[in-house]
Amino acid sequence: MIDALRYEYVRLRTIGSTYWLVGSALVFQLVFAVLIALSLATSSTFGGGDETFEVLATIGGSTGAPLVMAYIVGLLGVFSMGHEYRHGMIRATLTAIPVRTHVFVAKVVSTAVVAAVTALLCVAIALATIAFFGLDMPTTGAFVEQTVGIVLYTTLFALSGLAFAALLRNQTAAVAALMLVPSLLEFIVQSAVVIIKTNSDDPRGGGGITVILKYLPYDAGSQMFVQSSVDGLVQRAIGADPFGAVGGGLVMGVFVGALLAGAYALFVRRDA
Amino acid sequence: MALIEARSLGKTFGSHRAVDDLSFTVRPGSVTGFLGPNGSGKSTTMRLMLGLDSGDGQTTFDGVPFASLDHPMRHVGALLEAKPFHPTRRARNHLRMLAAPNRIDDRRVDEVMEMVGLTGVSGGRPGKFSLGMGQRLGIAAALLGDPHTLILDEPSNGLDPQGITWLRTLLKHLAAQGRSVFVSSHLLQEMALLADELVVIGRGRMLANGPVHDFISHSSLGSVTVRTPDLATLGPALEAIGASVSRDADTVVVRGATAEQVGDAAHAAGVRLHQLTTREATLEEAFLEATGLSEEFRGVGGRDDEQGGRS
Repeated sequence: MIDALRYEYVRLRTIGSTYWLVGSALVFQLVFAVLIALSLATSSTFGGGDETFEVLATIGGSTGAPLVMAYIVGLLGVFSMGHEYRHGMIRATLTAIPVRTHVFVAKVVSTAVVAAVTALLCVAIALATIAFFGLDMPTTGAFVEQTVGIVLYTTLFALSGLAFAALLRNQTAAVAALMLVPSLLEFIVQSAVVIIKTNSDDPRGGGGITVILKYLPYDAGSQMFVQSSVDGLVQRAIGADPFGAVGGGLVMGVFVGALLAGAYALFVRRDA
Repeated sequence: MALIEARSLGKTFGSHRAVDDLSFTVRPGSVTGFLGPNGSGKSTTMRLMLGLDSGDGQTTFDGVPFASLDHPMRHVGALLEAKPFHPTRRARNHLRMLAAPNRIDDRRVDEVMEMVGLTGVSGGRPGKFSLGMGQRLGIAAALLGDPHTLILDEPSNGLDPQGITWLRTLLKHLAAQGRSVFVSSHLLQEMALLADELVVIGRGRMLANGPVHDFISHSSLGSVTVRTPDLATLGPALEAIGASVSRDADTVVVRGATAEQVGDAAHAAGVRLHQLTTREATLEEAFLEATGLSEEFRGVGGRDDEQGGRS
């Protein structure tokens, strides 16, 4: 297992995409955190330190916008497996490390570590920006809760990218899946549920078809860092009762776990 | 030094039996050529040997399956793809990445880069490499662990004549050190110079297995050329011993009999011989004869049509 991790360590260090993806996530975080902080320094849009930190750490993700860092870092997960198939590397890899379980687990571990570290650095950038502009610091509880949520969501998001690439064995299709399932597919499902529910006899009643909304994996996972959003308001208006941070995190975790389990089962059985 | 033993290898894609009950042995100290027409199952067989494809049978290296080898690149070096690398990862880093899990140090990486003549472009991006340079990088990867066994699928693809000569010298040198070298190639003239033993397959089945000389000498395309002023007497005498005779001006081309048999028959018939020359079949002729009915893909024109489009 250690040998497979050594392979992943060198693989990540010697490919440009690692640097430009992590760099892009950090630069994006820095630029937008500074812009938001500049705006906050001259206005009182948000109520206090907790809310300021939440908005800065997620670059608006806490209000329902996509967590952009997760999308960027998610590509690292796709590339971890996608490069193997796109560039015919898989056979060379498996002749260097013939135990496929080790190869798969090493990729999961390395992707999770890079995603988590990048997410932590983004949080650190948010904190540094708050300090630099003299804004209110968050309370310890809010800081820990939000940081754990961001790190877990980003890590699970990246691992879902790895799983898509392993399942599809096609890097382009995996990138498309990672970009479209959370944003477009879940949006279409949400819209369909809203339309059906608002045209039903009981548009504000709980249960029924609105239960689906609780189990949309990426939307549920976002409950780990979203504090208030238009989507959430709409969902509650039609009787939906989204999971909280823990429940939502579990839904996303089970979804990503199932994706990884399927990807692993195929990876160890398929011809290379 | 490892003995490769492949036993009952088999692989089915849908309803197509790509490899069927292949068994052979590759001995240390020899280069074993792996021949077969396109689509005959050579690459699939090599992948089966290394556990990259699932299928029937088992291959062992000194009794150990590839997947059970500790630090496998130190035992078996393989080249299975034409360009098996990320186009923007620098050549040296590509080798370092493969070396890392096999506990091979960077000094060895630099050694093999020098062995294959890529030291000058070790910092280059392989995406810009020619096919031949890419092939050299693949060969470098196979040599990384200084393995006792090499499995190479078409390693001469894309190499220029100097490169092919270099590769031949290298592989013969490695075999002379006692290593087992198993190599497929479409370059039959090259294989004739390189290989000691042959495994010849067609449609996934074994057609021939043994020393190159045996394979060639068993070909019916070998002949004995005879020049004689007593043609009318010699012809029936040769046909009487089961040889086939074709006349060409003042010479006779005899197939199905050795030079000794022809000489004895001429002596017995009181025929004067002015020339008695043995012509062995080439490896290409022997190969085409052996695989004639085993081509997976056959074009229109050329040899097929010349031979009446046999099928």
